Amino acid sequence: MSEAPLDLHVIARAPFALYYDGAASAVSAANRIGPFDILPGHADFLTMLTAGTITIETNNEPVTIDAKNGLVTVRDNEVLLFVNI
Amino acid sequence: MRRPNIIEKDIASVTTLGNLTNVFESLASTQVAKVKNKAQLSQEFFDLLWSCYTSIRVDPKTRITARDDYGNGRTVLVLISAEAGLSGDLDMRLVETMQQNYNPATTDIVVLGSHGASQLSQRGIPYARFFQVPETDSYVNVEPVIEAIIDYSTIIVYYEEYLSLGQQEIRSLDLVMHMKAMSQDAEEGIITAADTIFEPSLNEIADQMEVTMMSLALSQTILQSGLAQAASRFNAMTTAEKRAGEMTSGYTLEFHRSKRGESDRRLREVLVGIKKKRRERSEKEGTL
Repeated sequence: MSEAPLDLHVIARAPFALYYDGAASAVSAANRIGPFDILPGHADFLTMLTAGTITIETNNEPVTIDAKNGLVTVRDNEVLLFVNI
Repeated sequence: MRRPNIIEKDIASVTTLGNLTNVFESLASTQVAKVKNKAQLSQEFFDLLWSCYTSIRVDPKTRITARDDYGNGRTVLVLISAEAGLSGDLDMRLVETMQQNYNPATTDIVVLGSHGASQLSQRGIPYARFFQVPETDSYVNVEPVIEAIIDYSTIIVYYEEYLSLGQQEIRSLDLVMHMKAMSQDAEEGIITAADTIFEPSLNEIADQMEVTMMSLALSQTILQSGLAQAASRFNAMTTAEKRAGEMTSGYTLEFHRSKRGESDRRLREVLVGIKKKRRERSEKEGTL
C-alpha cells in the first residue's frame, strides 16, 4: 500500500514543549462540535480544541498528544496546534 | 576578650552557615537556568499565539474587555509573589509598590504566593483571595485566578521582572487595557469569516481566546516573577555566603588573638610564680 502524501506542515507546541514540527498526512482532534480530521487541502480553519488526544499522522509512528485544551489553525496546508493554553 | 573555645564554636557555626548558603546559591543558580529556559520557550509560544489572536478580525466593540458595561466597577490588584522566603527584599518592594495605588474603598487584593500574603498581613493590609503560585513545571494553571478576577473592571497585575542576574524590577500590567491595546495592533494576515471556517463561531472563538490570552498574559507574569525570584535568591545567597566568609575571617583573627592572649597570660602567671618562688627562696636564704 502506498503511503499517504505528506502535504501538511504541522507545528504542535505547548508553552514549555515542542511536540512536533514537520510533515504530516493528517491531523485528528476534537472540538465542541465533535471529532474532526485535517487532510491536505483543508479549507482555512480555526477552532478551540476540547480535552482529548490529538493524533498527527506522519511517515513513521503517529504522534499522539494528550491535551487539556488547545487551539488549531489551518492556513494553506500549514497546521498550527497550540496545546494546553 | 572571649575565650578561644567559645570563638572556635562560633567559627564552626558560621562555617556551617557559609556551606549551607553555598548549597542554596548553587540551587538558586540551577533554578535560574531552568526557569529562564522555560520563560523563553513560553514567550515564543505566547508570541505565536498572540499573533494568531490579533489576526482574528471582529468588531472591537463586541469584545468582552471593550464592552461599556464591562466589570463590576471595582479594581483588583493581583500580587505575584514567592511561595517561600530567602529571595531578598523583592517581595517587600512588590508590596510597597502596590501600596502606592491601593485604595481600600475601591480596590480588592488577590495575592499569589505565601510570602506576599505574609508581607501583607505584617502591614495589616487585608486581601480578598489567596492562591498558591501555580505549578510551573509543565502547565501553569491560572484558571482559578482568572475566575476570581474576571468580573473586575480594572485588573492590575504586580509582578517581578528579571532584567539580569543582578537586577530585578517591580512591574505592573493593566490586564484589560493590555488586551484592548494588543487586539488593535494586528496589521498583517487578518483572518475573517469570509475566508476561514470558525468552529463553533467567530465571536465565540474570539471571546474564548480573549480569556485564554488573558490567562496566558497572567501566566507569563508568573513565569517572569519566578525567574526574578530565583535570581534574587541567588543574589541573597551570594551576599550571605560572602558575609559568612567575612565573619569566619573575623572570628579566626579573634580566635588567634584570644589564644595568644591566653598563652601570654599563662606565661605571665608562670613568670610571676617564678619571681615569687625566687623571692621566697632569697628570703629563706637571708634568714638562715
